[in-house]
Amino acid sequence: MTDHRTGLSPQEIEARILEFIQTELLSPPVTAHREDDLLSGEILDSVAVLRLATYVAEEFRIHIQPTDFVIENFQNAVVLTEYVLRSIASRDPGSTDSALASPESAETRG
Amino acid sequence: MARLLNHLVDEAALRAPEAVAVRCGGESLLYQQLARRSNGLARVLLETGLRKRDRVAVLLTRTFQVPISFYGIAAAGGILVPIDPKSPAQQVIRILRATGAQRLITEPRKGAVAREALAACPEVSHIVGLEPQDEEMEGQSELASRHYIPWPTVLEEACDQPPPVDVIDLDPAYILHTSGSTGEPKLIQHTHRSALSFVEWAAAEYSLTAEDRLSNHSSHHTCFATFDYYAAARAGAATVLLTPAVLMMPGSLSTLLEQERVSVWYSVPTALVQLSLRGSLEARDLSALRWVLFAGETFPEKHLRRLQKQLPGARFSHVYGSTEVNVCTYYHLPQPRDLETGDLETGDFETDDLETGDLETSDLGTSDLGTTVTEDPLPGDPLPIGRACSTSGTLVVDEQLRPVPRGETGELLVRGSTLMSGYWGDPERNLTALVRQTQAGDLEEIYFRTGDRVRESEDGQLAFVARTDRQVKVRGFRVELEEVEAALLSLDGVNEGAVVTVPDGEGSLAIQAAVVLSSRRPEGMDAPAGDAGDGGERELLSQLKKALPMQAIPSRIAILDSLPRTPTGKTDRNTLRQRLTT
Repeated sequence: MTDHRTGLSPQEIEARILEFIQTELLSPPVTAHREDDLLSGEILDSVAVLRLATYVAEEFRIHIQPTDFVIENFQNAVVLTEYVLRSIASRDPGSTDSALASPESAETRG
Repeated sequence: MARLLNHLVDEAALRAPEAVAVRCGGESLLYQQLARRSNGLARVLLETGLRKRDRVAVLLTRTFQVPISFYGIAAAGGILVPIDPKSPAQQVIRILRATGAQRLITEPRKGAVAREALAACPEVSHIVGLEPQDEEMEGQSELASRHYIPWPTVLEEACDQPPPVDVIDLDPAYILHTSGSTGEPKLIQHTHRSALSFVEWAAAEYSLTAEDRLSNHSSHHTCFATFDYYAAARAGAATVLLTPAVLMMPGSLSTLLEQERVSVWYSVPTALVQLSLRGSLEARDLSALRWVLFAGETFPEKHLRRLQKQLPGARFSHVYGSTEVNVCTYYHLPQPRDLETGDLETGDFETDDLETGDLETSDLGTSDLGTTVTEDPLPGDPLPIGRACSTSGTLVVDEQLRPVPRGETGELLVRGSTLMSGYWGDPERNLTALVRQTQAGDLEEIYFRTGDRVRESEDGQLAFVARTDRQVKVRGFRVELEEVEAALLSLDGVNEGAVVTVPDGEGSLAIQAAVVLSSRRPEGMDAPAGDAGDGGERELLSQLKKALPMQAIPSRIAILDSLPRTPTGKTDRNTLRQRLTT
């Protein structure tokens, strides 16, 4: 299994989040964009937001604390990506650099 | 005393014009403003030719326009038809057609859904809250005769005096919609009197005052909103609207409850479970919160116990009813006597939270709450739905509608002043759901058949046992599983289909479906029989989302070669549930 703790750039984390939203939570013709308000109630419902949180926790191996369930962390894919990066850094100090690794290492991820 | 619902606001504005009526997004709407704007809307509606009992549909997100519409329609003598703002266009069309509404109040944010629905409903002649589209302005559309009235125009009409209308308290005030087993929504009509009867009871029972702040958690198309809006106005209290973003993020929600000093909360248990697990309640000052009311589904015991510890200053009240009768019984939980000081298990979010059903909730939503925190009931007993409100009378009956001895299980019948006037446009359902019981003097009383099987204890407390049909509650919303199955079977390429409920791991139920596809499948549904995540499931879900409200959409659709069957050939839902959960 690929080690998710390494080899992902912020752009790739954001792309994976958007891909999950698009393929698992939305139905065509609705499309997800990076600054769409995910909490407006118009795109996702509360169950979908929980599924998104589950995905993020699993995909990026982070532990979402109760205190993290705030608008500032989940409003859109941009801030959610920043939250994931912060969580990776706090989980594994020193891994920030690897989380921001080059695209080459990401390509090996498969 | 208020005779009509709009009088609640007029009287509150007379008593305290500068008092806050509604809070939303950090802004306030004062009672005087609410009264003036709703009177202005009433005049605008009357100028469109609105006559007494005409239906006015409302498709709005949570904004100040909601209470303005509620009271404005009442002041004009119309019948409010609030539509679930999450409804797909098909559902909006069904409600517009079924109620015959010729007026729609909406907003630009709901413009896409509203316009799609309006395209199929040419009889809707007046739209408040939208501008005409270009082709209509140019007269090229067959709908060019439609009249559009933007909100700024409505607000310019604000005035102190309500228009004179010939309405009495027994006239209809609103029509609420819930899931219907045939796929058509049930339309439940209430009068000003039935609504005010509940409001008077609730304001007295919970000692509401002008100092209170009531949260508005539930959508304004549900009967919960009658408490949040009307009971607040009765007391001159404020209603705090909770936006979708706040509702989805428990940490933000608890911050808002602290900042707004919310004192009375009313919702389904699911919302409270989220707040308890992930709301960081220990870090908040929620000392203003004095009443927590919950209804609609089972409150899992462990979550309720934890929440009581987290909110030691609040009283908890389990209220029971349905959209047809509003609240008809209630049970105030005794204060926990021995609060343990151990760690509270809150909701660190592990990846398997959604997968692990930590409840043993039956398909019928039987309460599993054994409240060891209270003196009454005894451990292992279900949490009572309590005693009848002073507005209601109850009977527990057998299948022949004969009263059963105390202690035996039977269907609950309810009569009273909060009872609906009936299902709109559905005489057959009215005949079966509203039954007449002969009393002394050969006089008849009308009872509502709740469809809930209950048992009355020796001390007169009622306890919910099970449903008599396949109606379930999903995060507090009524869903008829037959409606979901009917929608599934109507999809292209689906030969057979069945739905079941499973615990969702969050204190409520999730709907899961299984289908058998026909050999000739539409494009995009050519995936082999399989499981979640394939193209076939996504295509089916996409189609369902166009037809069903969000809460009725299955969380998963498994594509099977065949459905499990009982020896008699019926769909074996117990086996299906096991297959879907393993």
